[in-house]
Amino acid sequence: MTRLEATHRVAQALAPHGDVPIVASLGHPAYDLYAAGDRAANFYTWGSMGLASSVGLGLAMARPDLRVFVLDGDGSLLMNLGSLATIGWTRPPNLVVIVWDNQEYGTTGGQQTATAHGADLETAARAMGVAATATVRSLVALDAAIARALAEDGPWVIVAKVSESAPSVKPPLDCVAIKQRFMAAIGQPEAGTIGGSQ
Amino acid sequence: MTHPEWAAGVCAGLHAAGSRHVVYVPDNPLSHVLRILGERHRDVRTTIATREEEAFGIAAGLYLGGARPAVMLQSSGLGNSLNALTSLLLPYRIPALIVISMRGDAGEWNEAQVPMGRAVRGICDAIGIPHTTAESPATTAETVRLVAQTAFGTRTAGACLLPRRLTVPAPASVRA
Repeated sequence: MTRLEATHRVAQALAPHGDVPIVASLGHPAYDLYAAGDRAANFYTWGSMGLASSVGLGLAMARPDLRVFVLDGDGSLLMNLGSLATIGWTRPPNLVVIVWDNQEYGTTGGQQTATAHGADLETAARAMGVAATATVRSLVALDAAIARALAEDGPWVIVAKVSESAPSVKPPLDCVAIKQRFMAAIGQPEAGTIGGSQ
Repeated sequence: MTHPEWAAGVCAGLHAAGSRHVVYVPDNPLSHVLRILGERHRDVRTTIATREEEAFGIAAGLYLGGARPAVMLQSSGLGNSLNALTSLLLPYRIPALIVISMRGDAGEWNEAQVPMGRAVRGICDAIGIPHTTAESPATTAETVRLVAQTAFGTRTAGACLLPRRLTVPAPASVRA
């Protein structure tokens, strides 16, 4: 499965559940999320490589009423492996981290990551105390894992083995607009802004 | 154990500013702040991050979820934080109260702490993080509260610096 096909499946699986927040790691994961269907509850990061799972963790802690999805990359998560330890310690039941593992730094030209040489991010998550994990290699298995992650307490780390999908579109570049639209979509309009409280 | 007035002030200031989440990487002086939070401000949730950059990522998510996050770190960790600050919090205008326990300033004994300690204010100025230094134990609460008020009001992360002359007790021989 390509990352774009897999991203479409995430979008389809979450569509019946309303404005489920999705935090996307910079570069290709964010581009594919936009290509799969722009929506207000998508938070596209344009920088801060490695921090998508951390942003998701903070959001999951602040909003335990929401299921929080993160679309991370293998290269990005490798940059912030400590995040797995923090997630394994704090154990927010409402956090679902999907790692697009294409075994390469796809956004920067396809240099191999450590997962191409034996690094196993699902095992890493389990070793850090994340009990709900899966590695999926097909769209059918991905669908099943997402269904479980929606029904059963997490935190979840789902490693999806994907191939590159060469994104051809990019999300809007206005970071503040991305943030304000996202916060309004999840019922938390930003204080002190138009539409938010003072 | 008695609580240092400055540390109680940090707690009171961030609480008064509405912070109910503190994400941090520990530091010796900050241990006083954490103990007081645990005793007096049980409604504040504290979360340890493995690295300062991660702490700012968590803080960004907390803010997106409607919280007013505080991040506490030692000045040595500012270097670890720069990509999170410059490519997430600043461009998205995601505010946080940043409490920095200073190393490398007057009173430092460890040379390895000095270069970053000297650079903290210059780095903050260079990237656009306003910073205010807490000047005395009695005024620390209000300084922290005001830094937070400006940060959340203007949606720009702001730092309160805690110098060693504030956080490290003077020996009895020089106390009044």
